[in-house]
Formats: sequence, C-alpha cells, structure tokens
Amino acid sequence: MNPAEQVIRQKFQQYYLDPKRQLDPPPNPSEREYGFLLFNGKFMVRHRSFKDPVSLLTAVRDLVPSHVYFSTAYYREPTAPMEEKGWTGADLVFDIDADHLNTPCKPDHDNWKCKACGTTGNGGVPKLCPKCKNDRMEEQTWLCDRCLQEAKEETAKLLEMLYTDIGVDHEATRLFFSGHRGYHVHVYSKQTSQLGEEERREIADYLLAQGLEPQLHELEETSVGGTKLAEGPLIGQPGWRGRIVAGIYDILGSEMDQIGLSSTQVNALRSWDREDLLRKPFWSSVKGVGISTWKTLVKKAVEKKSAKIDTVVTTDIHRLIRMPGTLNGHTGLLAMKVPEERLDEFDPFKEPLAFQGEIKVKVKESPGFRLGEERFGPYHDETVVLPSTAAMLLLCKHRAEPVA
Amino acid sequence: MLTRADLAKYPFLNEASDYIKELGISIDDIASPDFSPVLERAEKRLEEALSKGRVSNEFSNENAEILSFPVSNLILSLTGEERAQRRFALAESKRAYELLRQESPEKLDYIARTTFGWKLNKIDAQLGKRFYDFAIALADYLRNSVHLKEPKWKLPNRILDHGFVYATREELARLLEEEVRTKIVERSSRPPGEIPKLLQPKVERTRGLITKWLGVPSHYELPKVPSPESMPPCVRHLIDNLAEGKNVQHMGRFTLASFLVNIGAGEEDIVKAFKPASDFSERMTRYQVEHIAGKRGGRTKYTCPMCTTLKTHGVCYKPDDICSTIRNPLSYYKRKARILTGKGAET
Repeated sequence: MNPAEQVIRQKFQQYYLDPKRQLDPPPNPSEREYGFLLFNGKFMVRHRSFKDPVSLLTAVRDLVPSHVYFSTAYYREPTAPMEEKGWTGADLVFDIDADHLNTPCKPDHDNWKCKACGTTGNGGVPKLCPKCKNDRMEEQTWLCDRCLQEAKEETAKLLEMLYTDIGVDHEATRLFFSGHRGYHVHVYSKQTSQLGEEERREIADYLLAQGLEPQLHELEETSVGGTKLAEGPLIGQPGWRGRIVAGIYDILGSEMDQIGLSSTQVNALRSWDREDLLRKPFWSSVKGVGISTWKTLVKKAVEKKSAKIDTVVTTDIHRLIRMPGTLNGHTGLLAMKVPEERLDEFDPFKEPLAFQGEIKVKVKESPGFRLGEERFGPYHDETVVLPSTAAMLLLCKHRAEPVA
Repeated sequence: MLTRADLAKYPFLNEASDYIKELGISIDDIASPDFSPVLERAEKRLEEALSKGRVSNEFSNENAEILSFPVSNLILSLTGEERAQRRFALAESKRAYELLRQESPEKLDYIARTTFGWKLNKIDAQLGKRFYDFAIALADYLRNSVHLKEPKWKLPNRILDHGFVYATREELARLLEEEVRTKIVERSSRPPGEIPKLLQPKVERTRGLITKWLGVPSHYELPKVPSPESMPPCVRHLIDNLAEGKNVQHMGRFTLASFLVNIGAGEEDIVKAFKPASDFSERMTRYQVEHIAGKRGGRTKYTCPMCTTLKTHGVCYKPDDICSTIRNPLSYYKRKARILTGKGAET
C-alpha cells in the first residue's frame, strides 16, 4: 500500500467503525454474492455471502475495502464457483455514467494517454489511439457539476421511460448516486427478474432507441391524387411514437443550425407554429418540408429523448454492482440512495460527503472543484491543508499525496 | 371456450392433454387395432415434418388428430435425435400458426392465457393505419420475439405502453407460433418413462426417416481437422491481429479461445495462436484455455459468444453473406465447412 492508500484506508476504516453505521443491503440479501475490492494490491474478494446486514457490516469493518459490491443476481448457492451458483433471477439495473456522455467540459477535466505509444490528449478517452490504433488507454477523469447535471437529466429520462413505457413499479424502483460520475437505477421486481440477457438487451436498445426505424412507427409518404402526403406518429400516442413528436417539438424550440438541415428548411420550420405539433396531424402542413426532412428531425428527436445508459450493465445478469451506503474508492464519496422526488435538487457535491477533519496534502495537478459550499483549486504542485472530504477526493483521484 | 375441433387443430393445448386423460386412454391402449388410425397419423405427422418441414391437417378424424400428437412426440423423444425434434416442432408450430391467424381475438386471448400463461389485454386501438387487438405483457413478448430477426420485432420499433406491447392479431399468432415451438421441443426432448414395445419398430422406422431426410448426423458435425478456410471473418481478424502483435481485448480473446476449443483445435495450437500477443504468458494462456475447455474450474465447456454479443463489443468484423444467415460464429464454421467439402446446403 502506498502512503495515499494508507491514508484513504484509515479514513474509510474510521467511517465504517462509527457505531451508528448501518448498511442497507438490497432485498433478499442472503441470496446474493458480495464482492470487496481491497486496497492491498487491488485484490478482489468474491463469492461471499451474508445472511443479514449486521454480518455484512462486520465483514466491511474487518476488510475495509475500497469498493463494496453485491450481485444483481440471486443464487441458490451464492458462494459456489460461478458455474455452480444456480442463478434464480436478477434485478433489472441501469447505469448512467458521465463516461458515456459527451459533455463539452470533458476536454477541460479529462485526459488520456496511450499505453503503447505514449500519445496523450484531452477529453474523453477514444476507443483506439488515433496514432497507433492500440486500444489500451490510461485515463484520468474528473467529476464536475456539468457532467453530473447531464447524468441527472439522462436519469430523469430513464425513469420516465421505465414507468410509462417499460411499466416498472415505483415501489420496486430505487435510485442511487454512484459516488462518482453517475446514477444507478435498480428494479427489484418479480416481473423483470427472470429476463435473460437477450431480453434485457432489447430493453436497453429500447431506452437508447437503438435500431428504431421511423417507417415502422408509420412515418411514411403516401400519394393522394398525385400529391405527396406525409404521415406519421402523433403526440399523445404511447411509447416512442408520442415521444418522437415531443422530441421534434423540443428541437423546433431550440438550436436548429447544426442538425443537417438547409437554411431554407430551417426558416420554413421557424416560421411555422410548432404548437401545431401538439394538435392534429401535422406532417404535411409545413411548406417545403417533406418526408426526408422529417426523417432527419426524427433522428435528432430520438437522440435527444433516449436515455444514455451503459448497455453492458443492463444486459449482464451476473453483474456485481456498487452497494449503496458504502464509500466509493474512486472519490471517497458515499454511494447513496436518492429519493426519486428529490433527484432534481440532489447535490452530489454536498450530500455524499463522509469525512470530518483536515488533511495536509501535496497536490500535483487538479482542476477547480466545489464541495458543499466551498470552492477549491485549481491546484498545481502545491501543499495545502484541506477539509478531509476535499483531500480525500484528490487522494482517491491520484491527484495528490499525503504530507506527514 | 374450446371445442373438440379446436383440440384437433391445437393438440398441444393443455385442454387436449386433459381431454386424453378424460378418455382414460393410456399409451398401452395404442396396441389395440382400434387405435391404428392414431398410430398411422402419428407416423404421418413425423414423416411430413421430416420430409417437407410441413404438417398437413386431417380434421376428418378429430380423435386421431388429438391422440396422434403425443404419440409423435413420444416416438421422437425415443429417437433422441435433437435435430428431428427441432424440425418437428417447427413444422407443427407453423401448421398451428396458419390456423391461429384466422382465429377470433377471443380465442387467441384464451389460448395465450391458459396454455402459455401469458398476461395480455384485449384492446381495440387504431394507431396510424394499423389496428391492434392486443397488448402483451413485456416479458411474454420478449421471450418470444428475441429470436425473430425482422426489424419490426425489435422493441424500439414497437408500441410499448406501461409494460404492454401492442400487437395485431396476426402478430400475436406469430408470437404464439414461437411459444408452441418451444413447448413442443421441450415435450419431445423429455426422456420418456417406460418404452411400450409396440413403439419400438416405429422408433426404428423414424430413425430411418431421419437419416433419409436429414442425413447421417456426422455430415452435420464439424470437420475432424480444424479448417482455417471455414472460419468466420471475425475469428480470422482476431488471429491476424494477434499474429501482427496487435492488442486484442478480453472479449476478442475469449471469442477466439472458445471458438477454437469448440471446433476441436488442440490445446497446443490454441496456445500457439496467442503466442505473438505482446503480453503473452504461456502459463496464463494455458490456464485460461483449459478453463474455457472445461478442464478446470467449474468444468463447464464454454461455447462461443453469440454474434449479437460480438456486435455489442465490437468484435464482429466485416460480416459476409454467410454471416447474415447465422447467429453464432460456430454455425458459420459448420456451414462454410459443409460448402467447402461439397456436402451441399443444409436442409
């Protein structure tokens, strides 16, 4: 363990040892597998099971892991090797993470380095190194207000679709802040627990509108007595149909310059009363705007309205996922439950703060950030005494070293 | 709700089994000459399914129609031939589909609910030009639609309203066809209890039919010696990348190893394929290959991931014409090998 990890582990230990501490494990806790990533050499302890929250807390106090996970799956024998566990079902889970969002602030706070040729760049990590086409990249990310705000908006879209389209129960749904760059949604329901990977992939595709074909939602052109008439979905229709129209409504009320339409088309749409969208069939009521223009708009509308979930998390029916009420070793922030009605006002830079006191650290490099009401940084090669929460964030993010 | 004529049309229904129970007939009764029409019809079902992939309807003798179906299933299960069981299930489910699509919404609703336990609502909605008679619970929809390839079955292209997927009558019948197929495969592959003597010659005859129409099983098996020319583009690409010392991600490595294990490549050859990798460790590679081959750990032999998974993880590479007909790289290999060895197209 390096000095930074020693300090982090010590603070984590203090946190977990607090006599008031309680863990809030998921439903049917004894049927799940638990996993702990240890500070010591990044070792993963897996295939553990606990019959109740108390024995789980004892283990956490004992091991002091940097990350605590539980399986979304339920097993007959959670401690058996993977192939013999006996899968009996799994929560339906969704992960929205700034890693998957294209926020404009990324070049300001994220950067990457190719492990093969050493090329570096700012912003989100590319799939392949632009220079040597290698796919092994090192990345340094940061969490910022803007990224988390976008994650929140994606989460709101996700929840709306889960309720009105997928039909999940409010009571069966829990929303969590991940303690890093995003939000998790867990659905604990018999109706969805038996879905297989392929079925979950369909749900993921639905939320992302992946493979959505407008003509299958009856956007089409018909010829009536020589005149071409466009027809399509209407507002108020269920599922993607109404949502497509709502999305076009949003687009018409905002930027239209960079969506691939000619200025004539943009002007035609601007001078048209978009409220007509909300009344009756409108697909043939804008002069100079035909089916191909509408298709472009539908594509944009779908992009705007889809929820940018991480498909891998949703389709993996054996996944280990972060346990709410535990500390996230990437940040020192608490992964925590967010009451859904409070999502809008939830402050991920205030409510998940877990430490008291101060720590003296030497910061290599850090963007400016806010925790609670206080602003910190940017820092560049300087030694500072910071509130523990801020110091821990920098230590966890490998931006600082402790000073004895 | 259902008449005997309905049971003759749909002998896989729960009510058909109940009806047979009520008649008090057991499998031993088939020996009686009274039941010869049943046996004849059972054999005809099999012969038609195996030869043409179709089963015709014979409603003139409703009892024979109802009783012959479980007999066909039993004979098939005794052959232990999976290919034949699948083909029979497909033929029977297609036969059912042609009839189901002409049924009233009420009857379809009843069948879906009772025999298959679906949750569904009868609705009467027109959206655009289409009329929707049903809203099917999402789980029931997905279980049956995930195997259908047409884009119209993809969930993003459906109307999904509070956990229910809208469907036309025709579409519901098509989804039921899938459910029927699954049910028949399960039934005909269930190992039977005691084998009635009378059926033994029928089983032999059916085995003959299977060989006649589906060929000798070994023709369908993989070539004994791994054939590099038959490998799909994704696997070749993985091998090329490794050979050039490029890094291949975990999913790519797993795909390659599981593919090679399943086509019967030797452990040495598999390890050799990974040798050019920049981070090659013979010990680790051997360990992992043995794990995938089921010689270690949970002793499960892993199969190759499905094409959909490979697409998601960016392993799929330049799919060709054969790719559009298969769902797993191993099927590609089988098919290509058959073409290359001149065994002709699969029936």
